[in-house]
Amino acid sequence: MSAERWILVTGATGLLGREVLARLLAADARLHAFVLVRDASRWPEAARELGACRAVPLTGDLCTVDLGLTPDVRAALRQRVTAIVHLAADTTFSAPLEHARAVNTDGTRRLLELAADCVSRVRIAYVSTAFVAGRRTGMIAEDAAAATEGWVNAYEQSKYEAEQLVRERAASWVMLRPSTVVCDDVDGRITQMNAVHRALRLYHGGLAAMMPGVAGSTVDVVTTTYVAGAIARLALREDTSGQIVHLCAGDAALPLDELLDITYERWARDPEWRRRGIARPAVTDPTTYSLFERTIDEVGDPSLKRLTRALSHFVPQLALPKRFATTNAEALLGHSSPPVRAFWLPMLDHLLASRQRTRAMEVAA
Amino acid sequence: MSGATVGIRGVAYALPRRRRSLSELETLGQLESDAALLEQFGFSQVYVAEEETPYSVALAAARALLEEQAVAPASVDVVIYCGTTAVAFAPAGSAIDAADQIATTRRFQYPATRLQYDLGLGCASTLALDQLACTSLFAAVRVARGLIAAGEARRVLCVASEFFPGAAGREAIYNCTADAACALLVDDAHERNRIIASTQVSKGYYWDADALREEMVASYFPTATHVIAETLRRAGWRPNDVRWVIPHNVSVRSWEILMGLSGIPRERLWCRNVARIGHTLAGDNFINLRDAIDDGSVCHGDRLLLFAFGYGAHWTALAMEA
Repeated sequence: MSAERWILVTGATGLLGREVLARLLAADARLHAFVLVRDASRWPEAARELGACRAVPLTGDLCTVDLGLTPDVRAALRQRVTAIVHLAADTTFSAPLEHARAVNTDGTRRLLELAADCVSRVRIAYVSTAFVAGRRTGMIAEDAAAATEGWVNAYEQSKYEAEQLVRERAASWVMLRPSTVVCDDVDGRITQMNAVHRALRLYHGGLAAMMPGVAGSTVDVVTTTYVAGAIARLALREDTSGQIVHLCAGDAALPLDELLDITYERWARDPEWRRRGIARPAVTDPTTYSLFERTIDEVGDPSLKRLTRALSHFVPQLALPKRFATTNAEALLGHSSPPVRAFWLPMLDHLLASRQRTRAMEVAA
Repeated sequence: MSGATVGIRGVAYALPRRRRSLSELETLGQLESDAALLEQFGFSQVYVAEEETPYSVALAAARALLEEQAVAPASVDVVIYCGTTAVAFAPAGSAIDAADQIATTRRFQYPATRLQYDLGLGCASTLALDQLACTSLFAAVRVARGLIAAGEARRVLCVASEFFPGAAGREAIYNCTADAACALLVDDAHERNRIIASTQVSKGYYWDADALREEMVASYFPTATHVIAETLRRAGWRPNDVRWVIPHNVSVRSWEILMGLSGIPRERLWCRNVARIGHTLAGDNFINLRDAIDDGSVCHGDRLLLFAFGYGAHWTALAMEA
């Protein structure tokens, strides 16, 4: 029997990271993982789910010098680690650039410094985002093209900058770029809410007046199962070295108009909702949307103002039509992401059910 | 209903004597927002009734219209009055108690019938429209068009006179409100201002508009966009075919957004009266139509789109050929 292999995993207490780590460990009995955990109180729950006898938590922080690890721990990592699967990130779209950089870019830099100190040639599997493409439009290839048009938010920029660091400094790397995860699997169950769900709740609540969009705008979203499965399969494979892989719906993304329509039709099946006569949000050009945002900011009610501001770091992407190429992903995985059409409606049902549960609990309380 | 030859023969309006600037209104505590913000939204001054009553202004507008158009009083088949009956005869500054009005036989004193008498329209039957807020004159035109199409009338006088409630200040959702009356004649077989298509959407869910204000405001734009698109579709026009959008006098900012949503070039919004008059509730679009014709902006054959929103909650539009 060959020797055990050690890797370092970040972000493993998060929804995606936990799933990736479980799959990695399940796929290779020789594999052991050091898990960088910022909040130690979150590890026991993750460990319970993992049954993780081959996972060793290390309390540390991407934002701290030497990752907040003691010299002894760093020495152990230097001796054993042969790969780093880096999933940890601050995904807050509204974070200021310096904050996003501190976690996403500088945190990656610190991991690369550790990798450079290791005895073995360390492979970096960097989990980025498809939206490092920023404001670019059209077909987005699985390559390292420069983000010449800038970015919609600091998250995108900080991840782009981290990718550059990985390409420059890692001895061996693979770049894995998921688009937006909206549910666990094609059954539509939602474990973690994000900006897409908040926007949909606004729509359901009759508070979404309009969204930016242009002809050709699509919504590219994926499931946790697809992304986690793909990361687990590709992160440690030697033949993916130097490759950039889009974990996206690609051609199976839905046009924005169609997505708004089928969402409306789904919710309109509820007679009570239909009776309210809620209008489908209008889709408008970015100039008009900016004027609307400015007006809400000047005169809107505080909650509407807060929600519109939160969306402002996300919805401008809708008016930057792009299609993510998935050629590499399909060639390496042998399959594509489930089409958005397959899980969008079940996801809506779960979103609504969770809202109803929350309301019922509020009433009960 | 074909209604293709029904047109608006003429429009006249009457304003109270008193005007107040934004800074005056701010000093009087009549605004909820900063005057500077309302100025950014296009407002400058409004007309405010003091000694006038809604009826007296309505009568002035209707009388001016009949004189200008030189139509025989006997040729008017129907009078449609739009406005709150309970306060129609009360001076704005000393409004009688509407409840008292309703609780006595004075509730049977109707402005529509008094107009018929004061104007000498002996052959006209009367109708009244209420509960439609700023869209009531559009509804009057729709009813008139229907009566003409049904052969029950050939000429209909529509009059709207509404004063903003005295205790409500001079602002409604970032719009400065003015008092005014507007009258128009809808004629069979009239070649000018031909009504090509109309749409109205009412959403009863928002009947308690104050309680659902944020939801209604959010609903405003997509529903307005739908109503405009539907009206253009019914008229067989594309957005670019519209020469002028004749608006209700709400915030110019909101109109800029709606123009963007509707795909009609922004420079085709005729909005001079937002600053000059303010938002007169039901009269805006037709007052603006009159002024846009008078200043030479609107030429014979121009395709016009009129749109208004009524609090409580109605969205309506008319496609007209000048």
